[in-house]
Amino acid sequence: MTDTGQKILQKIKEDNVRPYPKSRFLFRRSVIWTVFFLSILLGSVACAIAMFQLRHAEWDLYQHFSHSLIEFALLVIPIFWLIFLLGFTGFAYYYFRRTEQGYRYRTVWIISGSIVLSIIGGGFLYTTGLPEKLEPIFFDKVPFYREWQARKQRVWMSPAQGLLAGRITKMISGRKIRIEDLQGNYWEVDIVDTIWRGRLKPAINLKIKILGHTKGESGFVATEIRPWRGQGHRMRAFKGKGGHEKNLLKPK
Amino acid sequence: MDKKPSYETMSDEQLVQLSLKDQNSFYYLIERYEPKILRYIKRITNISPEESEDLLQEIFIKVYRNLNRFNRKLKFSSWVYRIAHNEIINQYRKKKSYSATIDSFAENDDTDYLAGFIGEALDIDNDYISRENAEKVRAALAKLPDKYREVLILRYFEDQSYREISDILRKPAGTVATLINRAKSKFRKIAKQHQLENLI
Repeated sequence: MTDTGQKILQKIKEDNVRPYPKSRFLFRRSVIWTVFFLSILLGSVACAIAMFQLRHAEWDLYQHFSHSLIEFALLVIPIFWLIFLLGFTGFAYYYFRRTEQGYRYRTVWIISGSIVLSIIGGGFLYTTGLPEKLEPIFFDKVPFYREWQARKQRVWMSPAQGLLAGRITKMISGRKIRIEDLQGNYWEVDIVDTIWRGRLKPAINLKIKILGHTKGESGFVATEIRPWRGQGHRMRAFKGKGGHEKNLLKPK
Repeated sequence: MDKKPSYETMSDEQLVQLSLKDQNSFYYLIERYEPKILRYIKRITNISPEESEDLLQEIFIKVYRNLNRFNRKLKFSSWVYRIAHNEIINQYRKKKSYSATIDSFAENDDTDYLAGFIGEALDIDNDYISRENAEKVRAALAKLPDKYREVLILRYFEDQSYREISDILRKPAGTVATLINRAKSKFRKIAKQHQLENLI
């Protein structure tokens, strides 16, 4: 017996050192894998909502943003959810590296693997319709998210670029309405050749988004009107029997 | 203890299983790894022999406590080295004495390893290394940043494979290979400054 070996064994006996039970390590391992999969699941939710927003983004507004591609990108890219996805991918990476053999994989593989898993999971959740239910909940319950989305809507305060939003204050006639825009200015909007999207019915206090062009100082000719909240899924054009978009206010 | 001869033929994994049932069997694992780990401590730190012994004791106590954690997919030696490495790093955090000095490579039996290191690391045929050169190589090694020195020590002095180093340091094998290549190139630069041109 070597002196050192004897001393160490003696110390183990004197201090009554015992091996930690297997269950302790099993529990630790389970916690790590659970947090890893939870991160992937939450990443999938973020991915599903991002897919949903991309699918229903107002891509057709591109023509109004020829002056600023960045502004357009900020409008259509679901940055909020992509940041969430990256955050959860970071968590997934951190915990995967702490699994028994996680260190054997290169960072780039773990991160891309986690993102691919989130995309697959997100794709599945998207097909279940979950993001359609979750996104409004976030909008209603999370003030920061609401503020973020509201900031995106400020692009609708660009009448010179053909974008205007506001609340209907008066139905002047079947051809004209008055709105108060987001900055409190009043506009008379010509709605003769307007397509109303999202099954909208003009009504006082209805918040709308208008595409068109200015006419004089406080006049606006609307080519299309969309509901204030909601994107494509809630603003599918009302279609008549022939499948053509129906102008609800067009004089018969 | 009477069954010592049979213990000697047992694999590490068998000894681990036995140690979990019988504390005394752990002695044979200590006996098997004590010289290697003590040498590793001396090579990688500049702590005194007494402190090395204490550290060695802490390492084996930690190994014993964590026996149930040993993953059979790893080599037991890699697992022990990993615990040793982590414990050394912890000591470094406490005492800031991780960096090796020239003295920490001063053991005579390291000269053979140094010759081997020069041959393999610097891609030159060097069957003989003089004492003077050996000291210069040691000095150059001691000047390397910790992350490079530790991979060179594990590779060329502890004779660990890339996969084993990957398991010890918990880094991907590709990263280990990159670290070793960078360490060699750093070493070449430092060796030049130490007038080891005749070796390079």
